[in-house]
Amino acid sequence: MASPAPGADAGAAALLKREARAERARLIPPVLIGIGIAACGIAQAWLLARLLATLLGRGDAGWAELAGAAALALLMAGLGVAQERAQIAAAEHAKARLRAAAFARLLAAGPADERAVGEKSTLVVERIEALEGYFARWLPAAMLAVLAPLLVAGAAALADGPSGLILLAAGLAVPVAQAVSGIGAAQASRRQFEALQRLSGRFLDRMRGLPVLVLFNQQQAEAARLGAAAEELRARTMRVLRIAFLSAGAMELIIATALASLAYRHGALVQGAHPAPVAALFVLLLVPVFFAPLRAFAGAYHEAMAARGAAAELAPLLDAPEESGLLLEEIPPKVTVTFQDVTLSYDPSRQPALGGVSFRVLPGETLVLTGASGAGKTSVLRILMGFRRPDSGRVAINGHDITRLRPSELRRLSSYVSQRAHIFPGTIRENIRLARPEADDAAVEAAARAAQVSEFAALLPQGLDTPVGEGGYGLSGGQAQRVAVARAFLRDSPLVLLDEPTAHLDPGTEAVVLDALRRLCVGRTAILASHARAARVGHGRVLELSHGRAGASRMAGN
Amino acid sequence: MLRDVLRILGLWRGHAGWLAAGVLVAVLSALAGLALLVLAARVIAGAVAAGHADAALLAGLGVAALVWLRPVMLFRPLARYVERLVTHEATFRALAGMRVWFFRRLAERLPTGLGLRRAGDLLGRLVSDVEALDGLYLRVIVPGAAALAVVLAMALLVGAAEPGLAAILALPLAAALALPVLLAPAAARAGEGVARAQGALRSAVVEPLTGIEDTLAANAEGRAAARVAAEGAALAAAQQRLARRGAWGGAAGALLTQAALLGALAWALAAAEHAVASALLAVFLAVAAAESLGLMPRAGASLAAAAAGARRLFEAADTPAPVPEPAEPAAPPTGHALRLDGVTFAWAPDRPPVFEGLDLEVPAGARVALLGPSGAGKSTLAALLLKFAAPQAGTITLGGVDLARIPSAELRRRVAWLTQDARLFDDSIAANLRLAAPEATEADLWRALDRARIGDLVRALPEGLETPCGEAGSRFSGGQARRLALARTLLSPAPVLILDEPAAGLDADTERAFLETLDEATQGRTVILILHRLLGVERPTRILRLIGGRAIPATG
Repeated sequence: MASPAPGADAGAAALLKREARAERARLIPPVLIGIGIAACGIAQAWLLARLLATLLGRGDAGWAELAGAAALALLMAGLGVAQERAQIAAAEHAKARLRAAAFARLLAAGPADERAVGEKSTLVVERIEALEGYFARWLPAAMLAVLAPLLVAGAAALADGPSGLILLAAGLAVPVAQAVSGIGAAQASRRQFEALQRLSGRFLDRMRGLPVLVLFNQQQAEAARLGAAAEELRARTMRVLRIAFLSAGAMELIIATALASLAYRHGALVQGAHPAPVAALFVLLLVPVFFAPLRAFAGAYHEAMAARGAAAELAPLLDAPEESGLLLEEIPPKVTVTFQDVTLSYDPSRQPALGGVSFRVLPGETLVLTGASGAGKTSVLRILMGFRRPDSGRVAINGHDITRLRPSELRRLSSYVSQRAHIFPGTIRENIRLARPEADDAAVEAAARAAQVSEFAALLPQGLDTPVGEGGYGLSGGQAQRVAVARAFLRDSPLVLLDEPTAHLDPGTEAVVLDALRRLCVGRTAILASHARAARVGHGRVLELSHGRAGASRMAGN
Repeated sequence: MLRDVLRILGLWRGHAGWLAAGVLVAVLSALAGLALLVLAARVIAGAVAAGHADAALLAGLGVAALVWLRPVMLFRPLARYVERLVTHEATFRALAGMRVWFFRRLAERLPTGLGLRRAGDLLGRLVSDVEALDGLYLRVIVPGAAALAVVLAMALLVGAAEPGLAAILALPLAAALALPVLLAPAAARAGEGVARAQGALRSAVVEPLTGIEDTLAANAEGRAAARVAAEGAALAAAQQRLARRGAWGGAAGALLTQAALLGALAWALAAAEHAVASALLAVFLAVAAAESLGLMPRAGASLAAAAAGARRLFEAADTPAPVPEPAEPAAPPTGHALRLDGVTFAWAPDRPPVFEGLDLEVPAGARVALLGPSGAGKSTLAALLLKFAAPQAGTITLGGVDLARIPSAELRRRVAWLTQDARLFDDSIAANLRLAAPEATEADLWRALDRARIGDLVRALPEGLETPCGEAGSRFSGGQARRLALARTLLSPAPVLILDEPAAGLDADTERAFLETLDEATQGRTVILILHRLLGVERPTRILRLIGGRAIPATG
């Protein structure tokens, strides 16, 4: 495991600080309620001390004091419930805001962010949830850990000066112990989160490919590897906790020392009758009241570390600039696409995907890109979809540079059919409607007919309303592809981008789909990437790509 | 609920030593905490009472307490630290075992993959639900045992002198102990709601990211974000409900411990002078017990969350296996001839049958091309041959032995299947290939890559065989990923190969070249080629066309 980047801590701290400032107003109620609870605790301790002194023959308290103590107990219980609510409310707001931001950035990064989906989903779900403790418990607890003990120590000092000083010293020792043990905890905490993230990424990846593992009888071996990963997670987590628990031990030591010091002061050092019996019992009973907020603070300290670990991962994502660029005023009815010396490289150590490609496609024209796999056909389409930005050269639509447009705006111009369409969980109808959510049923059905979806949907028990699962369960590859073509029909855009749309269809279906695609392309600007001979026939101009460069173009069928 | 919890405990049997040690240390630590406050209190009480009527007795106790104070003061922090370490170690050990158990069960019960189950939801099941189970031990069993020890110790200490006082003290505390169990069913519903909401949120995040290209192409970002926001709000509402229950439970627990304390004081006010010593002990014990017991009612929420997690885990893990393993496996087949007799099959009772009375024979070493339109059941046939599904009628035999009687692991050693959506894992090329043959040498890997016509490309990569593939092979183009998957199948030593569209995603020239050399690449093995058309270079020994649920001999 590489040691974390030096900027990660700073990024995490900056993120948390910014968010804490944004939530300041919501953090005040839980803190005020916490102070109220401490005040009630002090009052109750005084009443109990008087009662105890009476029992020891040194006072005159009675049932009235007992009733008072009971009333205070009820009040504290009520305040505790109110505090919990106020804390949750503070965290809820912060989480919702951060979750929306993280998810939007992941969508904006699109396919260019090659992390596993499981890893990305961990960022949006687990990492954001890990921040809850920071807002709900750590921030209020940190403020209360300063204010409430001061209040209690002050009350103790009023009753007996030296006792107040003992409590104050114990209170000051707590943050020192926390800091000493906490320095290593921050790094360890981040490492634990990395392990958790890799584990969940790996699990999702393996679950999706479970049939492959089963086919090769590797499910047991993979289970063992998952076990090793879980074991690694355990080792990492324990490393965090070994340090985090040191502070818990230190806390107990401080409490024990404070109790013992008070016992020595009031028990051993006093000769004869104690001059202030109520005060002696009062400061003793204040010890639990004094340490309750510090205990909550110590418990929340681990959550703060966890939040910092999560924030370190989230910071680079959230600090990424928001998607920028111009917006489209309207969708032009006709578009001309121009590529001029366009280069694109995914990985500097490999050959560039595009090494200076130029062409122009006019409205109503279809350009067929051909070439061996890896020749750069898909890269051309990715640029036009805004998934990638060209390294150099100029890509223009109707003479305007597309890199000045916001990528999502660029995509409003086009419909896209990829090599392997993704079918979302839901019905077939919902899957088609994805392309244009406001479309009515008649339009969806027309698109389904045009793409030959109706043909196979008619044989399904619920027709277009048949549910299809993750990865298109229940649909063959060809059927899924036809759903994608139906989406393109429904979208009705001036630019059509087709990436091997018939690669997985049998000749009968392929011919039908190509015919449908041909009708789709009429009157629009279309770019079709395909190496299937059938796809090229009668489609239009052919441009052959080879190692990211364009060869001569010719008419289809020649 | 209890049944699921007990089943979880059963799964943890292997770690009983660690788990028991954690409970033991927790009990010691809690008793030390109790002793510490009581001792300090007695020292002060002794001083306060000095000079009073019963002072002699009380002061004596004070001095005795002073002697004990120092060792207990040192023991308590140490016990607390060790308790935390041991209980967490035990939890993580038990949880690691659970992850593996769950994966194995899913491999057994859902071998064809996720189907209609949402992958994001499943991920949540393993990671979140398994983690929710740490609450069962850490927040229910351990504090429960410690609190029980504290209550028992108090009842014994006070009960020896004043049974009535012991009852006043112990009854509310026992109620506080029982509270989690009483609150659990209601909290369980709330906990289930949280787990469900989190699963839904994860699905809302995973689905658009999995189909990211199609999501973006449809300009569906806003809709996806709205769904995530809505599911996030639903999760927050569910968490609110759970937290509210926890808060009320916490308030009830605090009130019960206060009732014990105030009850003891009331008893002392009413009782005669002689019982002051016992009453003082009871009051100090009640103050000290608040820490152990005050948090107990919150354990109800943890118990509920753990139970909800357990129920969801078992629900997925108990899905019946699609094809049960044979109770009495037959001797492994010696030959590799495949034969289907009158096979009838439908994926579900309400779906039209894929096959009706299908007969098919594939002799050992044959090269059969299977053609047919998409949806004709070519892939279904492969699924039947690998026991991912079982026919409703008819038999399938391998080397004369009924597939139903061959253990699936045995069968899958003999038959390898390149599925249409064969997936590459987020691992190196070498690791992906070695799934098919873990013992393969580098030379074997290169031979398989060359046969799949991708060796040159891999050689050109700076990291060669160690190049990571990315999720689902995302570092490669569709055609390249397909050829890597093909190389993996060719590397398998299985005598029967089922290649489902092996050349899909390859450009025309590569496809032709590959099919021309297929003979050499698969020498001596049975090959079932599933194709949507013949290029005329495959040289199959038989060509069959699947139409209307039957296989009909065809001529190209």
